[in-house]
Amino acid sequence: MSTRWYPIYQRGSPQLRIFLPNFWMKLIKPTVDQPSNLVNFACSMEMTRFDMKNYLEKIYNVKPIHIRTRIASGKCRRDPGKGYIVKNDDIKYAYVTLPRGEVFEFPDIFPNIKEQEKEYEKTLKQSKQVFDQFLEKNKERREMPGWFTF
Amino acid sequence: MAVPNKILGIYNLFKQFSSRDSLKWATLRPVLISNRAISTSNPQRGLMEFFDDKTNWGANEIKCGRSWRKEELRLKSNSDLHKLWFILLKERNMLLTMEEEANERVQVFPSPERLDKVAESMENLEEVVRERNRAYHELETGETGERPGKLATNIFGLNYFYKMSEHVIPKYMNKTWRKKYQFFKHDPDVEAFLVKLRERLYLNKRRKHTRDFNHVIGLLNRFPNMDMEALKQQYPDVDIERAKRSRKYGGHFEPK
Repeated sequence: MSTRWYPIYQRGSPQLRIFLPNFWMKLIKPTVDQPSNLVNFACSMEMTRFDMKNYLEKIYNVKPIHIRTRIASGKCRRDPGKGYIVKNDDIKYAYVTLPRGEVFEFPDIFPNIKEQEKEYEKTLKQSKQVFDQFLEKNKERREMPGWFTF
Repeated sequence: MAVPNKILGIYNLFKQFSSRDSLKWATLRPVLISNRAISTSNPQRGLMEFFDDKTNWGANEIKCGRSWRKEELRLKSNSDLHKLWFILLKERNMLLTMEEEANERVQVFPSPERLDKVAESMENLEEVVRERNRAYHELETGETGERPGKLATNIFGLNYFYKMSEHVIPKYMNKTWRKKYQFFKHDPDVEAFLVKLRERLYLNKRRKHTRDFNHVIGLLNRFPNMDMEALKQQYPDVDIERAKRSRKYGGHFEPK
């Protein structure tokens, strides 16, 4: 359950124990509508679905009943400065099904986005107003140098 | 009542023998130790542990402390380190999730240095655990217990660190291993390649030396009163006396 080096397992040897696993998983917002008990993750490339099950059960106390994984190929793009082709890293996605009846809804992490946008618009409007006033004042002094305006 | 009396007796015995260290032994006073240790971990929140505290949602800046240092971690017990590892792991997952969501929404991820701090803490913790492991193995077996490795030469004649691993069957039977790991054998083509490679490396080195030498002359021309010690320190390979004897040194004017 981690990318470390372990001694080889042979029949009869003691069970391998995982200390200090170094895998990561991040919860991802689904891009399409999906059942309320389905959760999307992006995770370490080395993780298998058994690893994910153990990871969620042992560390997060979440009991998945079914897990599917896929590997999304990273996109190739041209480097903006140099012009050579760069490939983004591949990502492993996991679709974790929770037991029937359990609901997970991805929370809204940025609740006050709209307020911020409103505030920004307000300041924009204000500065526009100030500029209009400036133009109104200097209507008679067109094409005058800057130090000759109000 | 028998057991506490026994403990008290031992305690008094210690106290008699070491009156100087009475303070030290005072900690041995028999106390009823509760099985329920104080828990500082978060209450179980299931999948919501992948998200930050709700008060931090949409914040511009989230203040946090520094990362764990090695000296601090060396004082901790193995079980404490083990617990701390999982706290750090969860923290990292949480930060990755929040970062991903911020990127997705085209918002600023607040205090991204938290990720570096967690990474550094994890690195330090692992190093401390490694130290202990090494010490234990050296005491018990005389070996470090680390993954063994050695310097090897690959098929192109270049040196690299070969990490050894256990195999079920011996080398001569292991076709896949032999196919994957091919070491250097005498080969005229590889020798020719190595000659050219060494030539390239030598030329790079010589060109760097010439470049530095000319650069130092330029510096001396532009800044005649510069700190010579600093110059020597920065360009240790350049012979400054020789640079001053060069015809490029000095201005384009007739000396008086």
